Amino acid sequence: MRGGRVESLQFLLIIFFSPLLQGFIKKIKALSQGRVGPGILQPYYDLIRLFKKDMVISETASWIFHAAPFVTFVSVLAASVITPVFSLQGGIFKAGDIIAIIYTLALGRFFMALAGLDAGTGFGGEGSSREATLAIIVEPVLIMAIFTAAIAGGSTSLSILSRSANIFRSPAHVLAFAAFYVALIAETGRVPVDNPDTHLELTMIHEGMVLEYSGPYLALMEWAHFMKQMLLFTIALDLFFPFGMQGGSTALGLAPAPGIYLIKVFIMGVAVALTESTRAKMRFFQLPSLLGGAFVLALLSVITLIMLGG
Amino acid sequence: MARNWLQAYSVLDFIAVGMLLSVIAVSSQKRLESCVRTYVLNSWLLAAFVTVSAFYMGMPHLYIAAALTVLSKCFLIPYFLRKVLRQLRVTHDVEPYISAPLSLLAAFALVVVVFSFVSQGVFVTGVTRNALKIAISIILISLFVMMTRKKAITQVIGLLIMENGLFLAGFSLTYGMPIIAELGVVFDMLMGVIILGLFLTQIKKAFVSVDLDKLTTLKG
Repeated sequence: MRGGRVESLQFLLIIFFSPLLQGFIKKIKALSQGRVGPGILQPYYDLIRLFKKDMVISETASWIFHAAPFVTFVSVLAASVITPVFSLQGGIFKAGDIIAIIYTLALGRFFMALAGLDAGTGFGGEGSSREATLAIIVEPVLIMAIFTAAIAGGSTSLSILSRSANIFRSPAHVLAFAAFYVALIAETGRVPVDNPDTHLELTMIHEGMVLEYSGPYLALMEWAHFMKQMLLFTIALDLFFPFGMQGGSTALGLAPAPGIYLIKVFIMGVAVALTESTRAKMRFFQLPSLLGGAFVLALLSVITLIMLGG
Repeated sequence: MARNWLQAYSVLDFIAVGMLLSVIAVSSQKRLESCVRTYVLNSWLLAAFVTVSAFYMGMPHLYIAAALTVLSKCFLIPYFLRKVLRQLRVTHDVEPYISAPLSLLAAFALVVVVFSFVSQGVFVTGVTRNALKIAISIILISLFVMMTRKKAITQVIGLLIMENGLFLAGFSLTYGMPIIAELGVVFDMLMGVIILGLFLTQIKKAFVSVDLDKLTTLKG
């Protein structure tokens, strides 16, 4: 198959645009709260600055502490490579099974949680324990929401799935998208679940785990986090809003696709930023009821799909 | 043209699923005001369902049924309910028998049960064929709401939503009853709500609370 030259490089978009997305979400959040906020390119400056800095590493840290940033980064990267970003053409997406993608991400999360424990601080352990607890509740929501799309599409391969999904014709997809959205908020560590902006000891989850990291390692961790966010947005778009992805593999057919993709991602970024500014952070022990609600939504989406016969 | 559009985007399915969702929401809500509000939403959706299928099947007499639904269930009954709520001065349902996440799951289980049994004998065809399953789910979930709540007012809301479910079920089977029967049902509902409201205020006077657990202690 000739397709797969240019098309297989789609993941570069996720690598290089994910800090921009983060900066964009921060900017929208700041604007909606009446602040000016940092520039939209700020995450790039942060990453560059961090890469130039020295590292301070805890004395108790073992090899896990050194390996975790690379494992996290590479697992997100691997998941991105097999995800169709703006075009469904491309040989490599035959490997792109949605369940494989989700659990490749879980590998990175596992190492991140281990690293939080490894540095030997109380906050790291706290963050890891919370992350693991949340993961147990969030994962079923994600997987059930994905199953709805998978049953409707008759496949678990994202590139095949995206050809058939259409949120506007099936109530089941709307429910699944609602559940997926809640799970996405939880996975990206955004406000009702986690606060990405503070290092307040009582509330942090993601920040708690990477607290001991500095310099290039921290940059890798943060970058992996940005990429994971953009990847999850991409998966949501692939599953529920796959417009403009069907272009052929000629250069002309492919040309508008990245633009459409970026517009969709940034619209979703606006939605997330607005959700974040209009919600208050929930107490950790209230989260199971939010995510439990999302889980029931996801279950309902599956049963609705079967009940209404697709 | 518009009919093709309705079919292609399965508007009726969306409305029916919306009704189901609102009932499931009631099963986990604690604030009585939001229960009433969700009931109003449920009734609006019911009216929308009737209106859309009236348009779809070209049966103008169904518009009257929809109008009656809006008048009684979206305005009059909520008005009485809110009035009773103000008189009783209750805002929350103090701890239902089972917790909110658990009742969500139970509601889901009821939907599964309905699906697995009703699908064995599908005897409804046409545009409203999916509505019957959803209607039966709504009836069962609202029965569940009535069973697990302590406050009498929540049980009244459960009863009202059950009536919405029955209406939907009847509608999906028969495409609407004769208008005189509709009128009778609506009138019955109104009277029922008014009498239940009076009854609730009397319970409140006699027992100080509308908590139904207290009714088991007999007064000599």
